[in-house]
Amino acid sequence: MSNTGAVTNTAEWEQKCSHPEYKRIQMKKNALSKTIKYLQSAEGSAYIFIFPSIILLMMFNIIPLLAAFGLSFFDVPITLDSAKFIGIENFKTAFSDARFVNSLKVTAIFTAIEVPVQVIGAMIIAAFISENNLKNKFFRAIYFLPVICSATAIGIMWKMILHSNVGFFTYALSSMGLGRINFFNDTHMAIFTVAFISIWRSFGISAIIYVTAIQNVNGSLYEAAKMDGAGSLRQFIDVTVPSIRPTFWFILMTRFAGSLQIFDIIYMTTNGGPNYTTESTVTYVYSRAFSSGSQMGYASTMSVILFAVIMIVTVIMNKRMNSEDM
Amino acid sequence: MNSKGLKKTMLGIPVFIVLTVLALTVVVPLLWLILSAFKTEKEILTYPPTFIPHNLTLANFTATVKRIKIITYIKNSVIYAGVTTTLAVVVNSMAGYAYARKKFFGKGAFFLITLATMMVPFQVIMVPLFLVVYKLGMYNNYLGLIIPRVAVAGSIFMMRAAFANLPVELEDAARIDGLSEFGIFWRIMLPQVKSSVICLIILSINGSWNDLLWPMIVASDTKMRTLANGLALFVGQNTIQYGASFAGALISLLPMLILYILGQRYFVEGMASSGLKS
Repeated sequence: MSNTGAVTNTAEWEQKCSHPEYKRIQMKKNALSKTIKYLQSAEGSAYIFIFPSIILLMMFNIIPLLAAFGLSFFDVPITLDSAKFIGIENFKTAFSDARFVNSLKVTAIFTAIEVPVQVIGAMIIAAFISENNLKNKFFRAIYFLPVICSATAIGIMWKMILHSNVGFFTYALSSMGLGRINFFNDTHMAIFTVAFISIWRSFGISAIIYVTAIQNVNGSLYEAAKMDGAGSLRQFIDVTVPSIRPTFWFILMTRFAGSLQIFDIIYMTTNGGPNYTTESTVTYVYSRAFSSGSQMGYASTMSVILFAVIMIVTVIMNKRMNSEDM
Repeated sequence: MNSKGLKKTMLGIPVFIVLTVLALTVVVPLLWLILSAFKTEKEILTYPPTFIPHNLTLANFTATVKRIKIITYIKNSVIYAGVTTTLAVVVNSMAGYAYARKKFFGKGAFFLITLATMMVPFQVIMVPLFLVVYKLGMYNNYLGLIIPRVAVAGSIFMMRAAFANLPVELEDAARIDGLSEFGIFWRIMLPQVKSSVICLIILSINGSWNDLLWPMIVASDTKMRTLANGLALFVGQNTIQYGASFAGALISLLPMLILYILGQRYFVEGMASSGLKS
């Protein structure tokens, strides 16, 4: 490179500086150092701070989401090396696929059992343990315990406790004269068993969130209610419940979305059985995508339909919540 | 404020009974699991079942080493939780810091993108996400397991809220002292939001340690399995050893129980402020 050589006199120097190639490089250098300066400034550095998260979220959230929509129109073979465009064929297949329709039904039943218990039950329990004293702190600590446990361990545990032959709880019930209940293998019972385990696992988090909300209710509201002669039940209905509305909606929406995506507990206990009575949509999607005879395109189609359901439910609830505020 | 919530006066005793029954519903199964891990295989399968072990044995724990390759699984879980959490703290608090304290062109748009990912359930994108990881050649290795789980919108939100409350003077003083922008963030601002960082660390460790679905999808190789999916696959086999799976479950629970005892407040705060986990 000529422009890196030593400069011996001014004439040569000037000639060199006017050389278009040299000018271009100088300009580039200037632009680069300006950019670096900018990125070191208080404002420009923001881009460096958000860069890793934006790249990662784009690659592993946004692109996969767009790809899910795209893939739902393709037939992807197990080898994953090609994809054939088949239009809305996958969607047609889905709605005539008895197993998929069944999985939507199972998911709906599961949601219908889980959500009310989480939303209403947790609120009532929270009201009893919201006051800060040793006894209540103890109960809160206990109720939260399952939240930190893995679905794997919880699944192993309940599968054995409710085992049809040697289960501890099964035995306890039968010794009380209730007969031996087949919690996991009875086609009517299994979905309730799975829902119970799921509630057991995350009841604590709903309750604790309610407790925080109840503790933040303005104390003077209770005083006023008491002056009006309201008993504790009236105070709960007239003061507590209206005051914690936002939390109620928050838990309702997150629990709804969560229930519609149920997978872990089912996978660990029944794996969809008996006779598909506990096969949720995600369980079915998982098995179509990652088990033998994998069909990634079709699995994506079902994910997209589930996503649409989740979005519709969320939007409707959001609308109701906002109209309530006015 | 002893009048918040329902008062205990006339409801006192029945309420206490309900609360106690609920507490027992939580504790008794866990206790049973812990005790059963020390029972012999024969005792586990006897009828009527026992609660307290007749003969204590550690055979189940040695079985986990031989039958379940638990050492490998523990190693993988530690790597998964450890590296994911370390990267998550840096990446998410950096982003949260910028969104809370900096004005820049396109801030609204970038923030919207971040917000949008919060609406997207993992279960919906798991199939294409697998394809992305597979095509990048990260299938069945640590990169594929860890990298997609680092950036989390919920954590960015939590950190943003934490940074938003700090006084401007802190930043300005550091700037006058000639600290670089990253230095201001790392040495001055980040230590100010210590409790949020601890929340993030605890949530991230707990989330990846317990994560079942993603390792199942992307780390199916025996050498790559984490404790959660390795155990799940062991239990899924037909020739299941109950004692070993109880011991394995106990091993997977213990670190989280210890973490919970040490940092209960951070668990609760973190989960309440960054939204529920799915």
